[in-house]
Amino acid sequence: MQTKEPRRPGELVFNIAMVLGSLILLWSAYGISGFEAMSAPGAIPMVTTAAMVICGGLILWETLKKSSATDEKLERDILPLPVVVTIALIAAYSLLLKPLGFIPTSLLFLTVMIRYLAQSSWLRAVLLSLAIVAVIYMIFRVVFTVLMPPGIVPEAEIIAWAKGLFAGKGN
Amino acid sequence: MDVIHSLLIPILDLQLLGLIALGTFAGIYVGAIPGLSVTMAVSILISFTFSWDVYPALALMIGIYMGGVYGGSRTAILLNIPGAPAAIATALDGYPMAQKGQAGEAIGIVTVVSFIGGFIGIFALAVFAPLLADFAIRFQPRDYFLLGVLGILLVGSLSGESLVKGIFAGALGIGLGAVGMDPLTFTERFTFGTDGLRAGVSFVAVMIGMFGISEGLMQLHTVNTPAVKQKIGRIIPSWLMVRKHLPLGLQTSTIGTVIGALPGTGGDIAALIAYDHATRVTKNPEVPFGKGAIEGLVAPETANNAAVGGAFIPMLTLGIPGDAVTAIMIGALFIHGLNPGPMLMVEQPDMFWFIVSALGLANVFMLIFGLTGIKAFVKIVEMPRAILLPVILLLSIVGAYAVSNSLNDVYWMLGFGVFGYFMKLYGYPLGPVILGVILSRLLDDNWRRAIISDQESLWLLLKGTLMSPLSLVLFASVVLIFVSKTPLWGMIFRKRAA
Repeated sequence: MQTKEPRRPGELVFNIAMVLGSLILLWSAYGISGFEAMSAPGAIPMVTTAAMVICGGLILWETLKKSSATDEKLERDILPLPVVVTIALIAAYSLLLKPLGFIPTSLLFLTVMIRYLAQSSWLRAVLLSLAIVAVIYMIFRVVFTVLMPPGIVPEAEIIAWAKGLFAGKGN
Repeated sequence: MDVIHSLLIPILDLQLLGLIALGTFAGIYVGAIPGLSVTMAVSILISFTFSWDVYPALALMIGIYMGGVYGGSRTAILLNIPGAPAAIATALDGYPMAQKGQAGEAIGIVTVVSFIGGFIGIFALAVFAPLLADFAIRFQPRDYFLLGVLGILLVGSLSGESLVKGIFAGALGIGLGAVGMDPLTFTERFTFGTDGLRAGVSFVAVMIGMFGISEGLMQLHTVNTPAVKQKIGRIIPSWLMVRKHLPLGLQTSTIGTVIGALPGTGGDIAALIAYDHATRVTKNPEVPFGKGAIEGLVAPETANNAAVGGAFIPMLTLGIPGDAVTAIMIGALFIHGLNPGPMLMVEQPDMFWFIVSALGLANVFMLIFGLTGIKAFVKIVEMPRAILLPVILLLSIVGAYAVSNSLNDVYWMLGFGVFGYFMKLYGYPLGPVILGVILSRLLDDNWRRAIISDQESLWLLLKGTLMSPLSLVLFASVVLIFVSKTPLWGMIFRKRAA
């Protein structure tokens, strides 16, 4: 079965990784209960990982048969800069969420992302981010009652102060 | 009386009614924005609503599902960019109509026929699901096992470029679902000795990563594509036009319901099959197919909305999702302590009738919102993706964190998001992964029950399968899908044709 499509940049490496990963998982599945019994806890994991190894091998074989001549480039079509930057920013967000808290981390994340992707001015990016975070905070904190890490922002005190303000005890 | 009472729950409860309306409205927007899928929206939503009661959570998700399937047609017609895979066929004739200045007419007819298709799917759900549930109580564990395998194979073979990649993805999903402690023997599986994996991998984090982050990353390739502005004219179609296309709409609604009810398939496949059906049965369309034929809008749009009701049939009667969205909804029901399957229909029929009623209401809201406020929708799809995408990514992170207030879930989400992104780039379907995760427990439990009851003998299991008509049909379907994707199939048919 000859496929006409050329191999995409990185496709071979990805498929080799899939096969190696599947082999590790098959080994781990064998370690659960070996060939003890067909109803053993490792039976289905062994069958599924064996299927992954076989399918991974077939996919790798097909990939190897593909022509490597392609107009695509790894840095343009597979991992363009916006994708790399976004992955890095999500990772940074995850790391900063607990120490900084939801509001400052989200503001930072959105400001940098909007500034970078939309080429907006810093001022516009900050204002847009403020508006978006305010809406998200209201919807998810108030309507969905999702608890997010407060971090450096004294959220509870601010909410209590706002409640007091509406109750006429602002000061 | 109980049925009527259950049907009236979402109608009489203003909060539920409002949530269905809100969900449908939001669903139309989500569906209309290219790159935002209903699956993505529902997978993010599940983490925000799991602290709610089950009725409001389902009301919102059902609204989004129904509205989203319809909403995809908007951009298919206006921009030639299907907002959702279910609207791919709609673009074929919808966009040529828009180019001729008939965008309003196209949107109008699509809205009305989507309503008709949606109604037929819901009607089929109400009529056939209770019958199937009665029948399903007699299913043997091996039948459930075969059904699960069939579902993964179907979605693997129909949604991706190759069955082999589909099977790989499905097997990966089953493996992911097995991570943690085996519930029967408390043996550790795929934990690699780490404490963090003993509780298993959060399937919500997997879903958000696979459908939220990976889709968001894919959209970054086209982040600066400018939105195309369109003018909208007359919207509400004439009764004569609707009546003229009603027979075709009824046929394609039936196709949509049946395809939707097949485990693992969904509205996108239903729409393409219905479009193909329309091209074959319509002898003399006023305008040729592909150039703005109304029949080319009627067929896919009735089918994909009918598939919504259809997809709930296997989900509620067998516990096997009809498509990716119902797979996520099964997850939502699990979170709320419910176990979808034939016993749900017996023990909690009110839940079933509530879902039927909520779907019906969402369908009505879809008609109302679809025929009004079109200009606002056009504005929304013109929103720059460079602003929209960061918001979606932020919501995905918040959603993953909200599952159990744990940063570990955020890391899982990011990991699966990046992994899913590469899978997409290299042609692996993601649907089977989620289906595998959801069905992992069902497959494992039923395999073990089946093989234990057959004294650990594969021969006895095979004999039992061949002796039972239902097991035989399921087994034959599994074999057929396998064989149909091998060179053997091609050889047989080439010989016959020769």
